[in-house]
Amino acid sequence: MDTEISNMADIDIAWCPGCGNFPILKILKQALTELTIEPTNLVMVSGIGQAAKISHYLKANVFNGLHGRALPAATAIKAANPALTVIAESGDGDMYGEGGNHFLHTIRRNPDITNIVHNNMVYGLTKGQASPTSQIGFKTPVQVAGVFLEPFNPLAVAIALNASFVARAFSGDAEQTKEIIKQAVKHKGYALVDIFQPCVSFNKLNTFEWFKKNSYYLNDSHDPSNRNEAFKKATENGPFPLGIFYINQDNNSFEENIGIYQENQKPLYERDLDIGKLKSLIETFIVAK
Amino acid sequence: MSERILMCGNEALAEAAIIAGCDAYFGYPITPQNEITAYMSKRMPEEGRVFVQSESELAAINMVFGASATGKRTMTSSSSPGISLMQEGISYLAGAELPSVIVNVMRGGPGLGNIAPSQGDYFQATRGGGHGDYRTIALGPSTVQELVDCMPLAFDLADQYRIPVVVLADGILGQMMEPIVFNKKPRRSLPPKDWALTGAKGREQNIVRSLWLPEGSLEKHNYKLQAKYQQVQKNEVLCEQYEVDDAEIIVIAYGVAARIVRSAVKKARQEGIKAGWIRPITLWPFPTMQIAKAADELSIFLVVEMSMGQMVEDVKLAVAGKVPVVFYGRAGGGVPSVDQVLEKIKQLTIPVKKQ
Repeated sequence: MDTEISNMADIDIAWCPGCGNFPILKILKQALTELTIEPTNLVMVSGIGQAAKISHYLKANVFNGLHGRALPAATAIKAANPALTVIAESGDGDMYGEGGNHFLHTIRRNPDITNIVHNNMVYGLTKGQASPTSQIGFKTPVQVAGVFLEPFNPLAVAIALNASFVARAFSGDAEQTKEIIKQAVKHKGYALVDIFQPCVSFNKLNTFEWFKKNSYYLNDSHDPSNRNEAFKKATENGPFPLGIFYINQDNNSFEENIGIYQENQKPLYERDLDIGKLKSLIETFIVAK
Repeated sequence: MSERILMCGNEALAEAAIIAGCDAYFGYPITPQNEITAYMSKRMPEEGRVFVQSESELAAINMVFGASATGKRTMTSSSSPGISLMQEGISYLAGAELPSVIVNVMRGGPGLGNIAPSQGDYFQATRGGGHGDYRTIALGPSTVQELVDCMPLAFDLADQYRIPVVVLADGILGQMMEPIVFNKKPRRSLPPKDWALTGAKGREQNIVRSLWLPEGSLEKHNYKLQAKYQQVQKNEVLCEQYEVDDAEIIVIAYGVAARIVRSAVKKARQEGIKAGWIRPITLWPFPTMQIAKAADELSIFLVVEMSMGQMVEDVKLAVAGKVPVVFYGRAGGGVPSVDQVLEKIKQLTIPVKKQ
C-alpha cells in the first residue's frame, strides 16, 4: 500500500546505511496507512537515541522529549486527549535503562498507548556501549572483558506485571512485524512491541544473521491469554520466540480508570469551563459571615 | 608518568583522576565525554579499582554518594543534560557534606540542545545547581594540561572541605589533543575522614544524612555550611592575570573562551591598545577581589563567554557599577573567533581614547 500519507518530504535521515531502523520506519508507515490513521490524529512520542529519531521521520504530531521519559509524556498526552493514537517509540537503552522505572509503572497504569522498542542490544547514538539488553559476553570499548550482567528481559517483566499486550518482532520480517504493530495499535490498553533490530555499526555480535538464526515464531497453538505459558515463552533464552506472547483484556485502561471520560467523551482541551461547578467549588472556601 | 605525551582532554583527565587516587568511577554514556567512561573501563580494573557503567545518571550520582560515604575518592562524569539529572544527588552530597568530583564536559543547551561545545552551565555549576542553600567548588581549566592539573586539586579540595567539586570542561577541551605532563605534586595535608562509614567497631556510629528535622537544627547546619563556604572563598581563589597594571580594557573569560581572548588581547597589544585579561580558574569561589581591584584602575571590562551571558553577572557584582561591563558571547555551539573579540576590543577602546 502507498504510504504517501505518512511520508515526509525532503528529510535527511541520520542513521547509518543498513541500519535496522530503516525497515522499522517503513513497516510502521505501512501499518499506520493500512489502519488509516491520519497523521493529524497520530502523536509520535520519543526519548533520546538512534531509534528515538524515528518520530522526526514520518508525518505525525511529534513530541521528542527527555532521555528515558517518553512513556510518562505519552500517558499524559493520551489522558488529555483519548481521541489521539499515541505511540511511544525509542530504543532499548532509552526505554529499559534510563526509563526503566517509567516502563514498569506505565505497564501498571495501562494507558491505551503503543510502546514500540527498537531492541538492538547496544547504545548506538553514543557509539557502542552495552545496553540493558546486551547479551552476556558482548564486548564493547567500555565492557572490555564482556558484559557480565543478566540481560533485561522486557517481555517477562511486562507479563509479570500483567501488561495488556506483549509482543516481540524482528525488523528483518516486514510482513509479520507489520501485523504485530497493527494488532498492538488496535489493542485497547498498553501494548508493548519489542523489535529485534541489528545495529550494523556497533553490534557485531547480534547481526541480521544472528537474529534470523536465533529467533522463531510462536506457533498457532500458542494461546496469548495463557499468562503462565506466555511467561515461560518470554524466559526462553535463545532461540527467542517472536509474535504476540500475551493479551490481557481484563483491565480498564488508565483513561477509563481516571473517571473523567465516563460521562463526557470530550477531550480535556475541547471542554468549556463549567461556571456552575467552579462557583460551587469557590463557595466551599468562603467562610460564612 | 612524567614524560610529555599527547592525549585528548577526556582521556587525560581520566588518567589524572586515577593518579590522584580515584577509587571508584561511575558513569552513563553521553556525548561528548564517552572517552572518559571508555578509558576508565579499561584502567580502573587494571588498578584494582571500581568501574561501573550505570543504568542512568541518577544511578551514577547515587553510586558516587554511596562510595563517598565510605571515605573513598570517587567521581562521575557526564555532559550538560546528564549533569542536570545529577543535581538532586549533588544537593544531597552538599547537605551530607561528602566529598566528590563531578566532571561536566559541557555541550549546547537548553534541553537536549546539541553536542557542540558550550559554557552554558556556568550558573548551574557556581550557584549550587540543585535545591537548597549550598555551593559546589567549580574549576574552569582552559588547556588539557590545566585540566590534568585540576583533577588532583579537585579531589584534594573535595576532601579538605567535604564538598562536591565540579570540573567544568567543554566539548572542545574534552575532544582536543594537547601535549601534557602528569605532575605528581605533593598532596595537601588533609584531615582524617573520621566521618566515613567504615564500621562502628569500638567507636560511635557515623551517620550520613541531609535530613535535619528538629526545629532550628537545619538552620544551624546551614550556618555551618556557610562558614565553610566562606573559608573556601577566603583560601581557594585561583585566577590568571595578564598586563593588567596599565590596561585600559580588561577582557574576562574562562575555559576555552579564554584561549581565544588570550590571542585577541595579544593582537590588540601589538596594535597599541592597552588590553589585558583576567582569567578565573576557580569559577566558584570567584576572583571577586582581583576584579574589584582592577575596576579601580581602568575604564572598561569586556566579558567573553560561550553562553548568552552568565559569568558576566559575577563580574558585574565584583565591579559594583564602578566602570562599564560589556558582554560578548555566542551560544548553542557557536565559538567566538579571535577577530570577533579583537573587533569588540577596538570598538570599546577607540571612543575611550578620544575623550
